[in-house]
Amino acid sequence: MSPFISFNIQKRFPNFTLDCAAEFSNGATAVFGPSGSGKTTLLDSIAGMTSPDAGRIVVGDTPVFSTDERIDLPPERRRFGYVFQRGALFPHMTVRQNVLYGYKLTPPESRRLDPENVCALLGVERLMDRRVTNLSGGERQRVALARALASSPRLLLLDEPVASLDAASRATIITYLKRVSDRLHTPMVFVSHSLSEVMALAPYTLALRDGSAVTHGPTAEVMAHPGVAAFADYSTLENILEARITGADTTTGTSTLRVGDIELIGPALDTSNNLAPPISVGDRVTLSIRAGDIILSLGAPPMMSARNAIPATIRNLRDAGGRALVYFDIGANLVAEVTPAAAGELRLTPEMEVHLVIKSNSILIF
Amino acid sequence: MLATLQITLQVAIVATLIDVPLALLLSWLVVKKRIRGAFLLDILASLPLAVPPVVVGYALLLLFGRNGPLGRLLDAALGWEVVFTWFAAALAAAIVSFPLAARAIMVAMEGVDERLERAARSLGAGPVRVAFTVTLPLAYRGILAGALLGFVRAVSEFGATIVVAGNIPGKTQTLPLAIYHNVQLGRDDHALTLVAISIALAVATLAIHNLLLARSNR
Repeated sequence: MSPFISFNIQKRFPNFTLDCAAEFSNGATAVFGPSGSGKTTLLDSIAGMTSPDAGRIVVGDTPVFSTDERIDLPPERRRFGYVFQRGALFPHMTVRQNVLYGYKLTPPESRRLDPENVCALLGVERLMDRRVTNLSGGERQRVALARALASSPRLLLLDEPVASLDAASRATIITYLKRVSDRLHTPMVFVSHSLSEVMALAPYTLALRDGSAVTHGPTAEVMAHPGVAAFADYSTLENILEARITGADTTTGTSTLRVGDIELIGPALDTSNNLAPPISVGDRVTLSIRAGDIILSLGAPPMMSARNAIPATIRNLRDAGGRALVYFDIGANLVAEVTPAAAGELRLTPEMEVHLVIKSNSILIF
Repeated sequence: MLATLQITLQVAIVATLIDVPLALLLSWLVVKKRIRGAFLLDILASLPLAVPPVVVGYALLLLFGRNGPLGRLLDAALGWEVVFTWFAAALAAAIVSFPLAARAIMVAMEGVDERLERAARSLGAGPVRVAFTVTLPLAYRGILAGALLGFVRAVSEFGATIVVAGNIPGKTQTLPLAIYHNVQLGRDDHALTLVAISIALAVATLAIHNLLLARSNR
């Protein structure tokens, strides 16, 4: 398949130079790197908010920027949705006016997405008549996403879309972004400095450092690249998973959760978050499980306090910055982090059958 | 006295109407477009605040006077002599009050989060639409406050006005000039009445100005 986005751009600043070339496919792509690596400058260049000094950016079949061809389309003619870190909603308008701002400016023949469907998908219908000044951080981001999508963008650009949010809203927004990526078929490029977000959302990643590409390719490979391992913080790596609550047992204080092809025993429902609206059996939720909280066991452990021992096949094994990252496919991607010593002792290899041991209290429900 | 008040308001309102569009243009160039030379433009725009008003008046006299380049041009083209008319007073007031209005309007425009304007662009709005649907609606209180600040300064303008428009009762005599005139003639009761009027006018305008600013900061 030919790439959806290809670029090769240079931009010089007094003490920093962005010089980067890559090709992105049609799905969701992450631009991952430490702060000051040029992620946002790259995103702004694609959006048309910043003009590179030299180079060429092609999206779909159209060059939107080219110094040789003297092309530099203004943002309004590129038709790429842009979602800022803290929403950047218009404070003098209601939620509805925000959502319809871009929709009204979209020529009828280009209106691919219906604002009502978008709002339903993002769960913002009941906010429509509210003023944006009294929305929570998570609500703002959902409205910002709805506003961008209602203009039927050819491409969605997101600059650290969840960085300013608390853990619960962050997990929820990630689930919504997954839905957008899966169901609305809108290509997406998002900037992040969080491995967990990248892993949850993007099959494909470009790693940036000091203004140039470290590597780009499938996310699992990029995450294990030595150049990425040099700056990535694996200790906070968490699995962000979409799940459905299938049961709740008040006597044992546990819940059952369907994730991909497996069923997990999780914590009691009411303890996870006091601020969020109550969740009950049947609800779709987002789970967070720290990669370091997953224990691998050869064979089923006979007696143990942890509630979950799930057989799974190792799909891939990577050494990353002194840690072994073990990848599984349980109908969703899952990564466990163990020490290289443990990986060596257990002789972990791809295609091997192991058990994932997870305490129910290591599972956070949002 | 009514004529004096009418001339004063006429001069100050016209001065404000000259200042506001220019201040908006300047703010857009300096704050939003960040054009090359914005620094110099900023200094040039603030200059009338830093020089004695009488210098402004004298410069206008040299430009628009009978032998001045602009004066000769206007006379030849329209048979119109600007100096010693109420319009000359308005022009003088406009220039002297411009820095105050422009600075306040620049601050108001700068206060609009650039990300909002960029979001609007990404949603398909061109620069003009962004200005009218995002920037101006969010900055209008600050812009109005700036206009009022310019207006009070224009009402109290004296130094430049007396040089380029003279002090002709019923024609170019504004409140400050009338006060000066009455003080010179020793008519203290007249002078004090006019002082009271000008203080009342200033207090009312400043009150509205402060109210607008307080709301725009919410």
